[in-house]
Amino acid sequence: MGEIFDIFQGLANGFQIAFSLTNITFALIGAILGTMVGILPGLGPSATISLLLPLSFKIGSPVTSIIMMAGIFYGAMYGGSTTSILVNIPGEAASVVTCIDGYQMALKGRAGPALGMAAIGSFVAGTIGVLGLTFVAPPLAEFALKFGPPEYFSLTLLGLVMATLLGGDSIIKGLIMIILGLLLGSIGLDPISGAIRFTWGFHMLQEGIDFVTLAMGMFGIGEIFYNLEKVLKAELVTRKISHLWPSLKDWMECRWAIVRGSLIGFLIGILPGGGAVISSLVSYAVEKRVSKNPDEFGKGAIQGVAGPESANNAAASASFIPLLTLGIPGNAAIAMIFAALLIQGVTPGPFLITEKPDVFWGVVASMYIGNIMLLILNLPMVGLWVQLLRVPYSILAPVIVLFCCVGVFSVRNSVFDIWVMGVFGVIGYIFRKVGLEPGPLILAFVLGPILERSIRQALLMSAGSPAIFFTRPISGTLMIGLMLFIAFQVFRNVRKQRQREKA
Amino acid sequence: MAMGSLKRPGPGFLPFILACILIVLSLALIASQWKKGSGKTPFWPGRTWLRPLLGTVAFALYAFLIDLIGFLPTTFIFLVLWMWLIESIAWRQIAAVSIGVTVVLYLIFGYFLEVPLPGGVFS
Repeated sequence: MGEIFDIFQGLANGFQIAFSLTNITFALIGAILGTMVGILPGLGPSATISLLLPLSFKIGSPVTSIIMMAGIFYGAMYGGSTTSILVNIPGEAASVVTCIDGYQMALKGRAGPALGMAAIGSFVAGTIGVLGLTFVAPPLAEFALKFGPPEYFSLTLLGLVMATLLGGDSIIKGLIMIILGLLLGSIGLDPISGAIRFTWGFHMLQEGIDFVTLAMGMFGIGEIFYNLEKVLKAELVTRKISHLWPSLKDWMECRWAIVRGSLIGFLIGILPGGGAVISSLVSYAVEKRVSKNPDEFGKGAIQGVAGPESANNAAASASFIPLLTLGIPGNAAIAMIFAALLIQGVTPGPFLITEKPDVFWGVVASMYIGNIMLLILNLPMVGLWVQLLRVPYSILAPVIVLFCCVGVFSVRNSVFDIWVMGVFGVIGYIFRKVGLEPGPLILAFVLGPILERSIRQALLMSAGSPAIFFTRPISGTLMIGLMLFIAFQVFRNVRKQRQREKA
Repeated sequence: MAMGSLKRPGPGFLPFILACILIVLSLALIASQWKKGSGKTPFWPGRTWLRPLLGTVAFALYAFLIDLIGFLPTTFIFLVLWMWLIESIAWRQIAAVSIGVTVVLYLIFGYFLEVPLPGGVFS
């Protein structure tokens, strides 16, 4: 009982922090920015958070800057559906499946209910996700206190492997990105012995590659260059949006889809390597399977909008759980928030809740408030946001590039960093071109130091025997899980290939 | 860079293992692509290489000029160049956006965040 009481007390404190004028302003800024980048195709939450990383140096308090960045992340989940429904282009990656039925609904003149249901589903699921975060995170953090280096190594490895296998279509390409990320992360001083690695005489590289520079280059600049190849043009299917409030029939059809989507999103969001994108895909598949008339899917089934849009919001909230309790980010956007915390001098991990309760509970409480703000921003005000789609990408692109340049300059007042970012931008562009997703690379770059420290400490503990990763109960369980997971994926791939050869 | 051993892993320990895995993965990727056979689609179909290249050039120019002539003129020139070369926008719109964005960026970073933006020859 005492624990439940602690949670409520923590939450009450959190609301006090979140309701301060500064924090509520930044929560609103986050929600607005999030909705904006969610709506604008070609600019995702990861890129935006990376754009704002330099700002977090200037915002003095860790709570405030994380409140804003969290708002951007889950706010983008709200905004993304709008573009999917009205333009048939996903506003951001987690709304890809919303295009299928959302756009069909819009073509049939039902854009209003589609937008309304997406926003309401997002709100319900987002709130369920935060409730989960509130009650799951504290006991999980307590459990994680038992983790030693071997457990951390196994868990990090599991997270990295799951991120690749779940995320992209090619396992080999994903793994290559992870290795490259780990190698990039090893540049600079070795965390244990202090030896200098891979600097090739550049003293600027001794401190290692700066995360902000890497992230802005790969995500900000790289994405812009890639988008320059094609002409992004947003053509609205309809200007008239009416009947935002769904009818009773829509409600009856959607209530379980929203509940199922929330649960799916929450469970996948907690997984290391899981996230909003995957959960929306899974939810769509589930909705199609349980539906009484699956033929409707693809022709404007409202459950095909409600389910995935709920799932991606629940997942966005849930993916804060591994970050705030274990110190292990599960996807690229969360990795950026991880970096922002480090910039502020806060190391996320099992001690965060007890040692920095203000940060944890402040951020959690702000997420309840943020979801309400977003519901208001996205339901009655959706017409306003649609105007944003009229701003052509041709104007947006150079502005984003400038933001990156000035932002990266401001971190150390160095023009050298602009050049480094440009190089990563070109690399990021080429990666995208050859089908290598930069997400796993960023994740691996962040997790690299944790992985290396834990494997070397564990091997010191066991006097060089790798058996330590298997004999300790928690670590062993994680390792078995990892192997089962890999076996399952390999099995599935082989089967897929056989089927293809037959066909 | 000392490798160390399993008993006493040194700074070169993880990079060495990673490099080995990377070699294996790269070979696997090459093999799988080779088996698939070379596709006939060119890397940059049509003239799709042009706009990213212009973007890269504009970016490099920005990084080069900002040290020489300072933030304000460089930003303005960059915006005009980008919108004129890469996109075809009406001149009036280019002028309005370029001036507006330059001023807003200066206000955000130079004024509110007090970043010492390069002044170049004008400082």
